[in-house]
Amino acid sequence: MTDPVRILVVDDNEDILSTFYEFFSSMGYTVKTAVDGFVALKLLRDKANSFDALITDLVMPNISGVGLISIVKKEYPDIKIIAITGYGDKPGALASEAEADMVLFKPIDLFKIEAKVAELLNLESRT
Amino acid sequence: MTTPLIGVSKSILKIKELISHVANTCLNVLITGETGVGKEVVAQNLYEESIRSSQNFVKINCAALPETLLESELFGYEKGAFTGAHRKRHGKFKTADKGVLFLDEIGDMPMALQSKMLHVLQSGEFSPLGSDQDFKTDAWVIAATNHNLEERIAAKKFREDLFYRLNIIKIDIPPLRNRTEDIPALVEYYSRIYQTEFGMDQVEKPNTEVMEKLCAYTWPGNIRQLQNCIKKQMVLNSWDKIFAELFSENLTLHNSPASDIPAHPPLANGTSPNATLEEGALIAEFVDLSTSSEKLFEDISLKKIKKMASDRVEREVIIFVLKKVGWNRSKAAKILKISYKTLLYKMTEFKIQPPVK
Repeated sequence: MTDPVRILVVDDNEDILSTFYEFFSSMGYTVKTAVDGFVALKLLRDKANSFDALITDLVMPNISGVGLISIVKKEYPDIKIIAITGYGDKPGALASEAEADMVLFKPIDLFKIEAKVAELLNLESRT
Repeated sequence: MTTPLIGVSKSILKIKELISHVANTCLNVLITGETGVGKEVVAQNLYEESIRSSQNFVKINCAALPETLLESELFGYEKGAFTGAHRKRHGKFKTADKGVLFLDEIGDMPMALQSKMLHVLQSGEFSPLGSDQDFKTDAWVIAATNHNLEERIAAKKFREDLFYRLNIIKIDIPPLRNRTEDIPALVEYYSRIYQTEFGMDQVEKPNTEVMEKLCAYTWPGNIRQLQNCIKKQMVLNSWDKIFAELFSENLTLHNSPASDIPAHPPLANGTSPNATLEEGALIAEFVDLSTSSEKLFEDISLKKIKKMASDRVEREVIIFVLKKVGWNRSKAAKILKISYKTLLYKMTEFKIQPPVK
Protein backbone atom coordinates (compact mmCIF):
# COMPACT_ATOMS: atom_id res chain seq x y z
CA MET A 1 0.00 0.00 0.00
CA THR A 2 1.32 3.44 -0.88
CA ASP A 3 1.47 6.36 1.54
CA PRO A 4 -1.54 8.64 1.47
CA VAL A 5 -1.16 11.77 -0.64
CA ARG A 6 -0.60 14.84 1.53
CA ILE A 7 -2.26 18.06 0.48
CA LEU A 8 -2.37 21.56 1.91
CA VAL A 9 -5.54 23.58 1.32
CA VAL A 10 -5.47 27.35 1.79
CA ASP A 11 -8.52 29.62 1.79
CA ASP A 12 -9.62 32.51 3.98
CA ASN A 13 -13.15 31.17 4.04
CA GLU A 14 -13.42 28.63 6.85
CA ASP A 15 -16.54 27.01 5.40
CA ILE A 16 -14.73 26.30 2.17
CA LEU A 17 -11.77 24.96 4.14
CA SER A 18 -13.85 22.49 6.11
CA THR A 19 -15.66 21.36 2.98
CA PHE A 20 -12.32 20.67 1.30
CA TYR A 21 -11.04 19.00 4.43
CA GLU A 22 -13.93 16.59 4.67
CA PHE A 23 -14.08 15.85 0.98
CA PHE A 24 -10.38 15.11 0.49
CA SER A 25 -10.13 13.22 3.78
CA SER A 26 -13.00 11.00 2.69
CA MET A 27 -11.09 10.38 -0.53
CA GLY A 28 -8.14 9.03 1.44
CA TYR A 29 -5.90 12.10 1.29
CA THR A 30 -4.07 13.46 4.31
CA VAL A 31 -5.24 17.06 4.51
CA LYS A 32 -3.95 20.13 6.34
CA THR A 33 -5.62 23.52 6.09
CA ALA A 34 -4.58 27.16 6.50
CA VAL A 35 -6.61 30.36 6.55
CA ASP A 36 -4.07 32.46 4.68
CA GLY A 37 -0.71 32.27 2.94
CA PHE A 38 1.17 33.15 6.11
CA VAL A 39 -0.32 30.27 8.11
CA ALA A 40 0.35 28.01 5.12
CA LEU A 41 3.96 29.14 4.90
CA LYS A 42 4.50 28.37 8.58
CA LEU A 43 3.08 24.85 8.04
CA LEU A 44 5.35 24.37 5.04
CA ARG A 45 8.43 25.52 6.94
CA ASP A 46 7.65 23.19 9.83
CA LYS A 47 9.95 20.25 9.23
CA ALA A 48 7.35 17.84 10.63
CA ASN A 49 5.18 18.44 7.57
CA SER A 50 5.63 17.58 3.95
CA PHE A 51 3.17 17.98 1.14
CA ASP A 52 2.63 16.62 -2.34
CA ALA A 53 0.17 19.25 -3.49
CA LEU A 54 -1.08 22.70 -2.61
CA ILE A 55 -4.57 23.97 -3.39
CA THR A 56 -4.81 27.68 -2.77
CA ASP A 57 -7.22 30.56 -3.08
CA LEU A 58 -5.64 33.76 -4.46
CA VAL A 59 -7.06 36.76 -2.65
CA MET A 60 -6.17 36.43 1.02
CA PRO A 61 -4.76 38.64 3.77
CA ASN A 62 -1.08 38.68 4.90
CA ILE A 63 0.47 36.52 2.21
CA SER A 64 -1.75 36.27 -0.85
CA GLY A 65 -2.13 33.10 -2.90
CA VAL A 66 0.09 34.61 -5.56
CA GLY A 67 2.80 35.27 -2.98
CA LEU A 68 2.46 31.78 -1.56
CA ILE A 69 2.74 30.21 -5.02
CA SER A 70 5.94 32.15 -5.79
CA ILE A 71 7.50 31.10 -2.51
CA VAL A 72 6.49 27.44 -2.87
CA LYS A 73 7.75 27.26 -6.47
CA LYS A 74 11.12 28.54 -5.34
CA GLU A 75 11.54 26.78 -2.02
CA TYR A 76 9.50 23.59 -2.55
CA PRO A 77 9.63 22.95 -6.30
CA ASP A 78 8.29 19.39 -5.98
CA ILE A 79 4.92 20.46 -4.62
CA LYS A 80 2.24 20.62 -7.31
CA ILE A 81 0.11 23.74 -7.17
CA ILE A 82 -3.50 24.36 -8.05
CA ALA A 83 -4.70 27.94 -7.76
CA ILE A 84 -8.40 28.59 -7.44
CA THR A 85 -9.75 32.04 -8.11
CA GLY A 86 -13.11 33.67 -7.97
CA TYR A 87 -12.04 37.19 -8.81
CA GLY A 88 -11.88 37.19 -12.60
CA ASP A 89 -8.70 36.99 -14.58
CA LYS A 90 -6.39 39.53 -12.94
CA PRO A 91 -5.15 37.51 -10.00
CA GLY A 92 -5.63 34.43 -12.20
CA ALA A 93 -3.10 35.73 -14.72
CA LEU A 94 -0.74 36.56 -11.88
CA ALA A 95 -1.06 33.01 -10.60
CA SER A 96 -0.02 31.55 -13.95
CA GLU A 97 2.84 34.01 -14.04
CA ALA A 98 3.86 32.78 -10.60
CA GLU A 99 3.77 29.35 -12.27
CA ALA A 100 0.91 27.62 -10.57
CA ASP A 101 0.62 24.25 -12.30
CA MET A 102 -3.06 24.82 -12.83
CA VAL A 103 -5.48 27.72 -12.38
CA LEU A 104 -9.15 26.86 -11.85
CA PHE A 105 -12.05 29.29 -11.68
CA LYS A 106 -14.81 29.23 -9.09
CA PRO A 107 -17.36 27.82 -8.90
CA ILE A 108 -15.89 24.41 -9.49
CA ASP A 109 -16.95 21.06 -8.14
CA LEU A 110 -14.76 19.15 -5.76
CA PHE A 111 -14.68 15.97 -7.85
CA LYS A 112 -13.15 17.94 -10.69
CA ILE A 113 -10.50 19.38 -8.40
CA GLU A 114 -9.70 15.92 -7.07
CA ALA A 115 -9.35 14.64 -10.63
CA LYS A 116 -6.92 17.50 -11.39
CA VAL A 117 -4.85 16.78 -8.28
CA ALA A 118 -4.64 13.12 -9.28
CA GLU A 119 -3.70 14.14 -12.82
CA LEU A 120 -0.90 16.44 -11.61
CA LEU A 121 0.47 13.76 -9.31
CA ASN A 122 0.09 11.05 -11.94
CA LEU A 123 -2.29 9.12 -9.73
CA GLU A 124 -5.45 7.39 -10.60
CA SER A 125 -8.39 9.51 -9.59
CA ARG A 126 -10.20 7.97 -6.63
CA THR A 127 -13.64 8.80 -7.97
CA MET B 1 20.14 52.92 12.22
CA THR B 2 16.78 51.37 11.52
CA THR B 3 14.08 51.98 14.11
CA PRO B 4 12.97 48.64 15.48
CA LEU B 5 9.30 47.73 15.59
CA ILE B 6 8.32 48.45 19.17
CA GLY B 7 5.41 46.68 20.78
CA VAL B 8 4.09 43.66 22.57
CA SER B 9 0.61 43.53 21.06
CA LYS B 10 -0.49 40.48 19.11
CA SER B 11 -0.66 42.48 15.91
CA ILE B 12 2.89 43.84 16.22
CA LEU B 13 4.29 40.41 17.09
CA LYS B 14 2.52 38.98 14.07
CA ILE B 15 3.93 41.70 11.83
CA LYS B 16 7.44 40.98 13.11
CA GLU B 17 6.97 37.29 12.41
CA LEU B 18 5.59 38.01 8.96
CA ILE B 19 8.56 40.26 8.18
CA SER B 20 11.04 37.54 9.13
CA HIS B 21 9.21 35.04 6.92
CA VAL B 22 8.96 37.20 3.81
CA ALA B 23 12.00 39.51 3.92
CA ASN B 24 14.00 37.23 1.72
CA THR B 25 11.31 36.49 -0.84
CA CYS B 26 11.56 40.00 -2.33
CA LEU B 27 7.92 39.76 -3.37
CA ASN B 28 6.04 43.05 -3.72
CA VAL B 29 4.69 44.28 -0.42
CA LEU B 30 1.80 46.61 0.33
CA ILE B 31 1.83 48.23 3.76
CA THR B 32 -1.39 49.86 4.91
CA GLY B 33 -2.38 51.83 7.98
CA GLU B 34 -3.35 55.27 9.20
CA THR B 35 -0.96 58.20 9.11
CA GLY B 36 1.76 57.90 11.74
CA VAL B 37 1.42 54.16 12.47
CA GLY B 38 4.93 53.38 11.26
CA LYS B 39 4.60 52.14 7.68
CA GLU B 40 8.09 53.32 6.79
CA VAL B 41 9.50 51.58 9.89
CA VAL B 42 7.99 48.32 8.66
CA ALA B 43 9.48 48.90 5.19
CA GLN B 44 12.91 49.54 6.68
CA ASN B 45 12.67 46.44 8.83
CA LEU B 46 11.83 44.36 5.77
CA TYR B 47 14.89 45.82 4.04
CA GLU B 48 17.16 45.30 7.05
CA GLU B 49 16.19 41.65 7.36
CA SER B 50 16.56 40.95 3.66
CA ILE B 51 19.61 39.96 1.66
CA ARG B 52 19.36 43.40 0.05
CA SER B 53 20.32 45.27 3.22
CA SER B 54 23.76 46.15 1.86
CA GLN B 55 22.17 47.80 -1.19
CA ASN B 56 20.20 51.04 -1.44
CA PHE B 57 16.93 51.80 0.32
CA VAL B 58 15.35 54.44 -1.89
CA LYS B 59 12.24 56.28 -0.81
CA ILE B 60 9.87 58.39 -2.80
CA ASN B 61 6.67 60.07 -1.67
CA CYS B 62 4.09 59.76 -4.45
CA ALA B 63 1.80 62.40 -2.92
CA ALA B 64 4.43 65.09 -2.44
CA LEU B 65 5.43 65.71 -6.05
CA PRO B 66 3.48 66.88 -9.08
CA GLU B 67 2.94 64.22 -11.73
CA THR B 68 5.67 65.19 -14.19
CA LEU B 69 8.27 65.61 -11.48
CA LEU B 70 7.31 62.30 -9.89
CA GLU B 71 7.70 60.63 -13.26
CA SER B 72 11.18 62.02 -13.86
CA GLU B 73 12.17 61.19 -10.28
CA LEU B 74 11.06 57.57 -10.75
CA PHE B 75 12.39 56.88 -14.20
CA GLY B 76 15.07 59.52 -14.70
CA TYR B 77 15.64 61.47 -17.90
CA GLU B 78 18.07 61.96 -20.74
CA LYS B 79 19.82 65.22 -21.43
CA GLY B 80 17.48 67.45 -23.41
CA ALA B 81 14.37 65.39 -22.61
CA PHE B 82 12.57 68.61 -21.63
CA THR B 83 13.35 72.28 -21.08
CA GLY B 84 15.78 72.43 -18.20
CA ALA B 85 17.09 68.88 -18.57
CA HIS B 86 20.67 70.04 -19.01
CA ARG B 87 22.14 66.73 -18.10
CA LYS B 88 21.15 63.12 -17.81
CA ARG B 89 19.72 62.09 -14.45
CA HIS B 90 19.15 58.62 -13.03
CA GLY B 91 15.73 57.81 -11.64
CA LYS B 92 14.85 56.05 -8.41
CA PHE B 93 14.27 52.76 -10.23
CA LYS B 94 17.89 52.81 -11.31
CA THR B 95 19.21 53.89 -7.90
CA ALA B 96 17.15 51.19 -6.19
CA ASP B 97 18.37 48.45 -8.55
CA LYS B 98 19.14 45.34 -6.45
CA GLY B 99 17.94 47.27 -3.41
CA VAL B 100 14.56 48.49 -2.23
CA LEU B 101 12.27 51.09 -3.74
CA PHE B 102 9.84 52.33 -1.09
CA LEU B 103 6.83 54.01 -2.71
CA ASP B 104 5.15 55.97 0.05
CA GLU B 105 1.56 57.21 -0.43
CA ILE B 106 1.10 55.00 -3.49
CA GLY B 107 -2.68 55.58 -3.24
CA ASP B 108 -2.11 59.18 -4.33
CA MET B 109 -0.16 58.29 -7.45
CA PRO B 110 -1.73 59.83 -10.58
CA MET B 111 -3.51 57.33 -12.84
CA ALA B 112 -1.21 57.91 -15.83
CA LEU B 113 1.83 57.04 -13.75
CA GLN B 114 0.06 54.00 -12.34
CA SER B 115 0.03 52.47 -15.82
CA LYS B 116 3.73 53.09 -16.21
CA MET B 117 4.35 51.62 -12.78
CA LEU B 118 2.35 48.54 -13.74
CA HIS B 119 4.46 48.15 -16.85
CA VAL B 120 7.69 48.22 -14.84
CA LEU B 121 6.33 45.72 -12.33
CA GLN B 122 5.24 43.36 -15.11
CA SER B 123 8.31 43.55 -17.29
CA GLY B 124 11.04 44.69 -14.91
CA GLU B 125 11.93 47.26 -17.54
CA PHE B 126 11.62 51.02 -17.68
CA SER B 127 12.63 53.76 -19.98
CA PRO B 128 13.84 57.20 -18.81
CA LEU B 129 12.11 60.30 -20.19
CA GLY B 130 13.44 61.20 -23.61
CA SER B 131 15.12 57.84 -24.04
CA ASP B 132 14.19 55.16 -26.53
CA GLN B 133 16.11 52.53 -24.61
CA ASP B 134 14.66 50.15 -22.06
CA PHE B 135 16.58 49.45 -18.89
CA LYS B 136 16.24 46.44 -16.61
CA THR B 137 15.59 47.01 -12.96
CA ASP B 138 15.67 44.59 -10.09
CA ALA B 139 14.25 46.86 -7.43
CA TRP B 140 12.23 45.28 -4.63
CA VAL B 141 9.06 47.33 -4.55
CA ILE B 142 7.52 48.03 -1.16
CA ALA B 143 4.53 50.36 -1.32
CA ALA B 144 2.57 52.03 1.45
CA THR B 145 -0.67 53.93 1.71
CA ASN B 146 -3.11 55.27 4.27
CA HIS B 147 -5.94 54.98 1.74
CA ASN B 148 -8.27 52.05 1.45
CA LEU B 149 -7.19 50.99 -2.03
CA GLU B 150 -10.30 48.88 -2.62
CA GLU B 151 -12.32 52.08 -2.19
CA ARG B 152 -9.95 54.00 -4.47
CA ILE B 153 -10.41 51.24 -7.08
CA ALA B 154 -14.21 51.53 -6.81
CA ALA B 155 -13.87 55.31 -7.23
CA LYS B 156 -11.70 54.72 -10.34
CA LYS B 157 -8.76 56.45 -8.66
CA PHE B 158 -6.56 53.39 -8.48
CA ARG B 159 -5.88 50.66 -11.02
CA GLU B 160 -7.12 47.27 -9.95
CA ASP B 161 -4.39 45.42 -11.81
CA LEU B 162 -1.71 47.51 -10.10
CA PHE B 163 -3.35 46.77 -6.76
CA TYR B 164 -3.10 43.00 -7.35
CA ARG B 165 0.52 43.39 -8.45
CA LEU B 166 1.45 45.21 -5.25
CA ASN B 167 -0.77 43.30 -2.85
CA ILE B 168 1.26 40.09 -2.99
CA ILE B 169 2.24 40.47 0.64
CA LYS B 170 -0.06 42.69 2.66
CA ILE B 171 0.98 44.14 5.99
CA ASP B 172 -1.74 46.08 7.76
CA ILE B 173 -0.62 48.08 10.80
CA PRO B 174 -3.50 48.76 13.20
CA PRO B 175 -3.90 52.25 14.70
CA LEU B 176 -2.33 52.83 18.10
CA ARG B 177 -5.73 53.14 19.84
CA ASN B 178 -6.38 49.48 18.94
CA ARG B 179 -3.16 48.28 20.56
CA THR B 180 -2.76 50.43 23.65
CA GLU B 181 -0.67 47.71 25.28
CA ASP B 182 2.16 48.92 23.02
CA ILE B 183 2.10 52.42 24.49
CA PRO B 184 4.29 51.84 27.60
CA ALA B 185 7.04 50.23 25.51
CA LEU B 186 6.85 53.03 22.93
CA VAL B 187 6.99 55.73 25.61
CA GLU B 188 10.01 54.10 27.19
CA TYR B 189 11.80 53.64 23.89
CA TYR B 190 11.30 57.17 22.61
CA SER B 191 11.95 58.77 26.00
CA ARG B 192 15.33 57.10 25.99
CA ILE B 193 16.06 58.15 22.40
CA TYR B 194 15.10 61.81 22.91
CA GLN B 195 16.78 62.00 26.29
CA THR B 196 20.06 61.16 24.61
CA GLU B 197 19.28 63.35 21.62
CA PHE B 198 18.47 66.40 23.74
CA GLY B 199 21.25 65.67 26.22
CA MET B 200 18.87 65.58 29.17
CA ASP B 201 19.61 63.64 32.30
CA GLN B 202 16.62 64.36 34.54
CA VAL B 203 13.23 63.91 33.01
CA GLU B 204 10.05 63.09 34.89
CA LYS B 205 9.29 59.42 34.20
CA PRO B 206 5.63 58.78 33.56
CA ASN B 207 4.05 57.33 36.69
CA THR B 208 1.16 54.86 36.63
CA GLU B 209 -1.44 57.58 36.46
CA VAL B 210 0.29 59.30 33.53
CA MET B 211 0.68 56.00 31.74
CA GLU B 212 -3.00 55.23 32.23
CA LYS B 213 -3.89 58.57 30.70
CA LEU B 214 -1.52 57.98 27.79
CA CYS B 215 -3.14 54.63 27.19
CA ALA B 216 -6.64 56.08 27.42
CA TYR B 217 -6.01 58.74 24.77
CA THR B 218 -7.12 57.91 21.21
CA TRP B 219 -3.97 59.06 19.36
CA PRO B 220 -5.48 60.14 16.05
CA GLY B 221 -1.94 60.88 14.82
CA ASN B 222 -0.76 57.49 16.10
CA ILE B 223 2.91 56.89 16.97
CA ARG B 224 4.07 60.09 15.29
CA GLN B 225 1.79 62.08 17.59
CA LEU B 226 3.01 60.12 20.61
CA GLN B 227 6.60 60.87 19.57
CA ASN B 228 5.83 64.57 19.37
CA CYS B 229 4.28 64.47 22.84
CA ILE B 230 7.31 62.78 24.32
CA LYS B 231 9.51 65.36 22.63
CA LYS B 232 7.39 68.17 24.08
CA GLN B 233 7.60 66.51 27.47
CA MET B 234 11.40 66.66 27.22
CA VAL B 235 11.14 70.43 26.90
CA LEU B 236 8.19 71.20 29.18
CA ASN B 237 8.83 68.44 31.71
CA SER B 238 5.17 68.50 32.65
CA TRP B 239 2.79 65.76 31.64
CA ASP B 240 -0.03 67.91 33.04
CA LYS B 241 0.53 70.55 30.38
CA ILE B 242 0.75 67.90 27.67
CA PHE B 243 -2.50 66.32 28.78
CA ALA B 244 -4.23 69.69 29.03
CA GLU B 245 -3.37 70.23 25.38
CA LEU B 246 -4.15 66.68 24.24
CA PHE B 247 -7.46 66.36 25.99
CA SER B 248 -8.66 69.86 25.12
CA GLU B 249 -8.09 69.07 21.46
CA ASN B 250 -9.83 65.81 22.00
CA LEU B 251 -12.79 67.48 23.66
CA THR B 252 -13.38 69.82 20.77
CA LEU B 253 -12.99 66.91 18.41
CA HIS B 254 -15.62 64.97 20.26
CA ASN B 255 -18.18 67.74 20.30
CA SER B 256 -18.12 68.38 24.04
CA PRO B 257 -18.37 71.95 25.32
CA ALA B 258 -15.37 73.64 23.80
CA SER B 259 -15.47 76.61 26.12
CA ASP B 260 -13.64 75.17 29.14
CA ILE B 261 -10.09 75.07 27.87
CA PRO B 262 -8.93 76.74 24.68
CA ALA B 263 -7.18 74.28 22.39
CA HIS B 264 -4.17 76.57 22.17
CA PRO B 265 -3.79 78.60 25.36
CA PRO B 266 -2.62 82.11 24.55
CA LEU B 267 0.90 82.89 25.62
CA ALA B 268 1.25 84.70 28.92
CA ASN B 269 2.93 87.56 27.11
CA GLY B 270 4.35 88.21 23.71
CA THR B 271 7.93 87.71 24.79
CA SER B 272 7.42 84.30 26.36
CA PRO B 273 10.60 82.25 26.29
CA ASN B 274 8.46 79.49 24.89
CA ALA B 275 7.54 81.51 21.81
CA THR B 276 9.69 79.53 19.42
CA LEU B 277 8.57 76.28 20.94
CA GLU B 278 4.93 77.26 20.53
CA GLU B 279 5.59 78.24 16.91
CA GLY B 280 7.19 74.91 16.23
CA ALA B 281 4.38 73.19 18.07
CA LEU B 282 1.80 74.69 15.76
CA ILE B 283 3.68 73.60 12.65
CA ALA B 284 4.27 70.17 14.22
CA GLU B 285 0.54 69.62 14.19
CA PHE B 286 0.64 69.52 10.42
CA VAL B 287 4.03 68.08 9.55
CA ASP B 288 6.41 65.81 11.35
CA LEU B 289 9.28 68.04 12.46
CA SER B 290 11.21 65.17 13.96
CA THR B 291 12.47 63.81 10.64
CA SER B 292 15.57 64.79 8.73
CA SER B 293 15.37 68.10 6.97
CA GLU B 294 15.44 66.35 3.61
CA LYS B 295 12.29 64.42 4.45
CA LEU B 296 10.80 67.44 6.16
CA PHE B 297 11.22 69.57 3.06
CA GLU B 298 9.64 66.82 1.03
CA ASP B 299 6.67 66.72 3.41
CA ILE B 300 6.12 70.46 3.73
CA SER B 301 3.66 71.67 1.16
CA LEU B 302 2.03 75.03 1.75
CA LYS B 303 -1.02 73.98 -0.24
CA LYS B 304 -1.51 70.82 1.81
CA ILE B 305 -0.89 72.53 5.14
CA LYS B 306 -3.23 75.37 4.20
CA LYS B 307 -5.93 72.85 3.42
CA MET B 308 -5.33 70.96 6.67
CA ALA B 309 -5.35 74.15 8.74
CA SER B 310 -8.42 75.62 7.09
CA ASP B 311 -10.22 72.28 7.36
CA ARG B 312 -9.52 72.22 11.04
CA VAL B 313 -10.79 75.74 11.64
CA GLU B 314 -13.83 75.19 9.44
CA ARG B 315 -14.66 72.04 11.32
CA GLU B 316 -14.45 73.75 14.69
CA VAL B 317 -16.54 76.69 13.56
CA ILE B 318 -19.20 74.42 12.12
CA ILE B 319 -19.39 72.38 15.33
CA PHE B 320 -19.48 75.57 17.38
CA VAL B 321 -22.41 77.00 15.43
CA LEU B 322 -24.26 73.68 15.28
CA LYS B 323 -24.07 73.43 19.06
CA LYS B 324 -25.34 76.98 19.49
CA VAL B 325 -28.43 76.21 17.42
CA GLY B 326 -29.05 72.79 18.96
CA TRP B 327 -27.84 71.00 15.80
CA ASN B 328 -30.49 72.60 13.61
CA ARG B 329 -28.70 72.39 10.30
CA SER B 330 -30.72 74.88 8.30
CA LYS B 331 -30.29 77.50 11.03
CA ALA B 332 -26.58 76.74 11.18
CA ALA B 333 -26.24 77.05 7.40
CA LYS B 334 -27.88 80.50 7.53
CA ILE B 335 -25.54 81.69 10.28
CA LEU B 336 -22.50 80.32 8.48
CA LYS B 337 -23.76 81.96 5.27
CA ILE B 338 -23.40 78.80 3.25
CA SER B 339 -26.06 76.73 1.53
CA TYR B 340 -27.74 73.88 3.38
CA LYS B 341 -26.26 71.48 0.86
CA THR B 342 -22.74 72.78 1.41
CA LEU B 343 -23.17 72.36 5.14
CA LEU B 344 -24.27 68.75 4.74
CA TYR B 345 -21.36 68.13 2.42
CA LYS B 346 -18.91 69.65 4.87
CA MET B 347 -20.40 67.72 7.77
CA THR B 348 -19.77 64.50 5.87
CA GLU B 349 -16.30 65.59 4.78
CA PHE B 350 -15.26 66.51 8.32
CA LYS B 351 -17.14 63.59 9.85
CA ILE B 352 -19.28 65.83 12.05
CA GLN B 353 -22.09 63.98 13.72
CA PRO B 354 -24.70 65.24 16.16
CA PRO B 355 -24.22 63.90 19.68
CA VAL B 356 -26.08 60.65 20.31
CA LYS B 357 -29.13 61.29 22.43
